[in-house]
Amino acid sequence: MSSPSSTRRPDRLLILSVFIVASCGLAYELVAGALASYLLGDSVLQFSSIIGCYLFAMGVGSHLSKYIKDEDLLARFIDIELLVGLLGGVSATVLFVIFAWMAGPFRSVLYALVFALGVLVGMEIPLVMRILNARQAEFSELVSRVLTFDYLGALVVSLLFPIILAPHLGLARTAFLFGIANAGVALLTVRVFRSEIRHARSLALRSAIVLGLLLGGFALSERITQWSERGIFGDEIVHAETTPYQRLVVTQWHDDLRLYINGNLQFSSRDEHRYHEALVHPVLAALPGVKRVLVLGGGDGLAAREILRYPSVQEITLVDLDPAMTRLFSTSAPLTALNKGALKDPRVHVINADAGQWLETAGTAFDAIIIDLPDPNSYGLGKLYSEPFYRLVREHLSENGLVVIQSTSPYFAPHAYWCVVTTLEAAGFKTYPYHAYVPSFGEWGFVIGDRTGRYQPPTQYALPMRWLDATTTRDMFIFPADMQRVTVEPNRLNNQSLVRYFEEDWHRVIR
Amino acid sequence: MNRRDFLKLSTLAGLTGCSGRLPWQGPPVTVNMPGMAWGHLLRDRLPTPNPTRERSVEVAILGSGVAGLFAGWRLAQAGFTDFCILGGPEPGGNTAGSVLAGIPCPTGAHYLPLPSMESIHVREMLADFGVLRGDPHAARPVYDESVLVHAPDERLFMAGKWQEGLVPQHGLDDMAREQIRRFFAEVARLRTERGADGRRAFVIPLVQSSSDPAFTGLADETFAVWLGRNGFTAPPLCWYLDYCCRDDYGEGIEQVSAWAGLHYFASRDGHAANAEDGTVLTWPEGLQPVARHLRERIGAVRWLEGMALRVSEHRHGVEVCCFDAARDEAFTLHAKRVIVAMPLHVAAHVVANLADFGFDKTRDLPASASWLVSNFLLDGFPPEPDVRQPLAWDNVIYGSQGLGWVVATHQWIRQAKPAQTVFTAYHALANLPPAVARAWLAKASPAELLELAGRDLKAAYGSGFQRYVQRVEITVRGHAMATPAPGFLNRPGIAALRAADRKILFAHADLSGLSVFEEAAWWGEQAARHVLT
Ligand SMILES: Cc1cc2nc3c(=O)[nH]c(=O)nc-3n(C[C@H](O)[C@H](O)[C@H](O)COP(=O)(O)OP(=O)(O)OC[C@H]3O[C@@H](n4cnc5c(N)ncnc54)[C@H](O)[C@@H]3O)c2cc1C
Repeated sequence: MSSPSSTRRPDRLLILSVFIVASCGLAYELVAGALASYLLGDSVLQFSSIIGCYLFAMGVGSHLSKYIKDEDLLARFIDIELLVGLLGGVSATVLFVIFAWMAGPFRSVLYALVFALGVLVGMEIPLVMRILNARQAEFSELVSRVLTFDYLGALVVSLLFPIILAPHLGLARTAFLFGIANAGVALLTVRVFRSEIRHARSLALRSAIVLGLLLGGFALSERITQWSERGIFGDEIVHAETTPYQRLVVTQWHDDLRLYINGNLQFSSRDEHRYHEALVHPVLAALPGVKRVLVLGGGDGLAAREILRYPSVQEITLVDLDPAMTRLFSTSAPLTALNKGALKDPRVHVINADAGQWLETAGTAFDAIIIDLPDPNSYGLGKLYSEPFYRLVREHLSENGLVVIQSTSPYFAPHAYWCVVTTLEAAGFKTYPYHAYVPSFGEWGFVIGDRTGRYQPPTQYALPMRWLDATTTRDMFIFPADMQRVTVEPNRLNNQSLVRYFEEDWHRVIR
Repeated sequence: MNRRDFLKLSTLAGLTGCSGRLPWQGPPVTVNMPGMAWGHLLRDRLPTPNPTRERSVEVAILGSGVAGLFAGWRLAQAGFTDFCILGGPEPGGNTAGSVLAGIPCPTGAHYLPLPSMESIHVREMLADFGVLRGDPHAARPVYDESVLVHAPDERLFMAGKWQEGLVPQHGLDDMAREQIRRFFAEVARLRTERGADGRRAFVIPLVQSSSDPAFTGLADETFAVWLGRNGFTAPPLCWYLDYCCRDDYGEGIEQVSAWAGLHYFASRDGHAANAEDGTVLTWPEGLQPVARHLRERIGAVRWLEGMALRVSEHRHGVEVCCFDAARDEAFTLHAKRVIVAMPLHVAAHVVANLADFGFDKTRDLPASASWLVSNFLLDGFPPEPDVRQPLAWDNVIYGSQGLGWVVATHQWIRQAKPAQTVFTAYHALANLPPAVARAWLAKASPAELLELAGRDLKAAYGSGFQRYVQRVEITVRGHAMATPAPGFLNRPGIAALRAADRKILFAHADLSGLSVFEEAAWWGEQAARHVLT
């Protein structure tokens, strides 16, 4: 056997590996806990059940470690490192993919994974102790050194994880990072102890392969999460982007292009013509000689496409919050084909600003104002469906001008829909509620407002339409028995009733 | 797409997200001490240049806090034109504000409760500004919605979680719950209670309250003693009431009188047609727009920069020696009457014959509390731990000595959160002898002030909050407001100044002894009425 002085370096390595192994062990536990509380909520429950399961599994691991024969200690230690690295490294990504693609087994896989990791991690420290012990270190000295580094490693990770790792790397890459550390320990151990291990070469090769896989995973984890989104959307993703304001995803399946914002379907190219004809033409066809039009929201350029069909229109001002959205819809080929290059039309002025802010400072009046904002599902959006906001809109409407607002579904969210109508009335508008059937949305609601009370729905359209005609138009303004008006409060900024109605209405529809 | 899918998507950001900023040292801090240098110049009677010009007016208003501005507004409204208003060391006084990176924010008062029936003067002012629509005498007037505080208005951080509203709710034992219920029942009763003189027990303006000793007797003991005597001992209730007192009066339940503590709850009974009771009026920069409106109505031609050094009464009028520190120029104002609208501790140095009014400095001058108003300019909003309890206008930490923070961009009508915002943290240096607090403030380094100012924000967001802070502007108000301590209702000198109807009139919240907008405005109103009749 080797002389005391030559054992020092390998021993130090083993102590260092205790430190790394302990950090990794805690890291996987934290990743699993954080992921479970992200996905399942109730973080106290998730964390405590995962920690419990993990600690118990570690106990099992310690127990099992006694079945490993003395002569295999080093080789088994390396195997365990590789296995821990592999399992732990892919844990976050695998769990996420499973959550995205399959509803059922998420919890079972989560706990199985946590248990397996716990067992393996539980074997590590007893093994290292035995290895060191076999190398004739003083026992009391050994226990104290191993445990010191064990706890130190845990401390370092418990601090790094919430402050740096989780926020900057994200969970998937954090897990891969620690996997890489485990595999690194394995590879280093093989190198340093190669003289004492049988089959050192094949172990080294295995370690290198695992290390390579984990490095690849680290580099590709962004792609993998994107791919797993497909599990959510079903279709091929042609564009996905997280902007400071929202997540934009465009999918395609045959000739069906779809846009999702934060996971909510905005349109499907199969039936968007229904939505946009209903949004635009009942207003514009009733305004002969309409010249200046304002669009709030509508960064997809589809409403603008319809407006541009009126030769009298001289200028469209389109105010959309997100530059990424209007850029996407003025550059991507399939999307500009869909909106007929509307955003590039010289008559269209695209302004990227918050509609609330823009209206406060804009000076001019418009003949028509088309409000195509996302549904009022947050306090921020709720403010753009409020009485003061509609008063601001009113100030920017010419005397005989018309405003139209997309206002969620009168069928699925009746309180929210009629709240928009009531609020518009409270702001001094005469209102003309109507609805249209858009297959991918269901029954959808809009409301027109004017100052004069003289609005009449068009009885014919000079322009050719794909769907709208005189009869459909007439029917749109009739609310059958199951969509009758309900009495609701207007949306006031100091209670934001609309956001509440919207939440409650849709909560009843989707569980 | 259903809820679960939506949840999955929000997780993606957590998995792949990467925000680029590193934790970094301390943000740059500016410390402002409005009026301090000028005030000490007066106190220490430092030499000033000889007057170089003179001006004569019918009425001179000395001071441009709420009281002075309100007096001027009322005069202008009544068609009285021959007057001027001297801004003093801090135009606007406690309603001043600031602008950080284009975001207006308060450096003092930030809200106005719905004015009660008795505060008709405030209602008339709000009607003049178009904030109150229709008849100012209506029981439930309509208010401009954009200045009614937007939802969500208040939340409390307790036991590691945010809860809606400021009254502690979650995790209370039965005793605390019962006492809270009983306390609110008691103040609801007091709200309609009348004294032997037929007046309501607690009214804003406070001089209209009943003088029945059954109630005014409450001004002789501390709120804490009264609470103990009435079996209100549960820590959550006591903390909440202490918070309310510190928030309104700058001192806690151990210092303020029971009368003042109850007045806070029982006097406010304003309603609105378009908001629930208890809603407040607020502007992004606090009450500064109100002061601005008043100032506009008064007119720039009547505005004078500078402060009064000496006010002396003569046979034919009043002579005021003034000093404009910005120009290093002194001038003299000759007026038939003056309205002294500065704090009493300043008036005591400035008004030569204050003792003639029956005011005894050592007996009648109220103790005053110190405040820290700290504006944190943030790059983005720190993440909220609970999506169901989003950032509110007013955010308070249970158990804290601070008063939480308000969000300057909360009232903006925006679809998305702005890229930058300002959190305004309030801290009254309560529970310290006032002189000790002021001595500490005068000596404290910017880093020490910052540590105190940022405590609540750290408690809520952890040290990660630092990453968002671009810049901090701390306003130190040494003599911010009079403390309504036991005995404050019957100071003979104060009563004398209220009643004064000579060439010198007085108007300031100090005449009420408790510092709220309606009270300051009330004394401005009274002084203007004396001039007009
Ligand atoms: C931090 C803070 C927060 C507050 N929040 C609220 C709130 O939310 N709601 C509410 O209702 N109330 C609030 N208050 C109280 C309210 O602001 C005051 O009651 C009110 O503004 C007082 O007005 P005032 O005119 O009496 O006095 P001040 O505001 O004290 O004004 C005094 C004026 O006198 C001038 N002056 C001083 N010395 C001289 C001199 N020598 N010559 C000439 N002029 C001089 C000053 O420049 C100043 O303009 C708050 C107060 C503070 C300090």
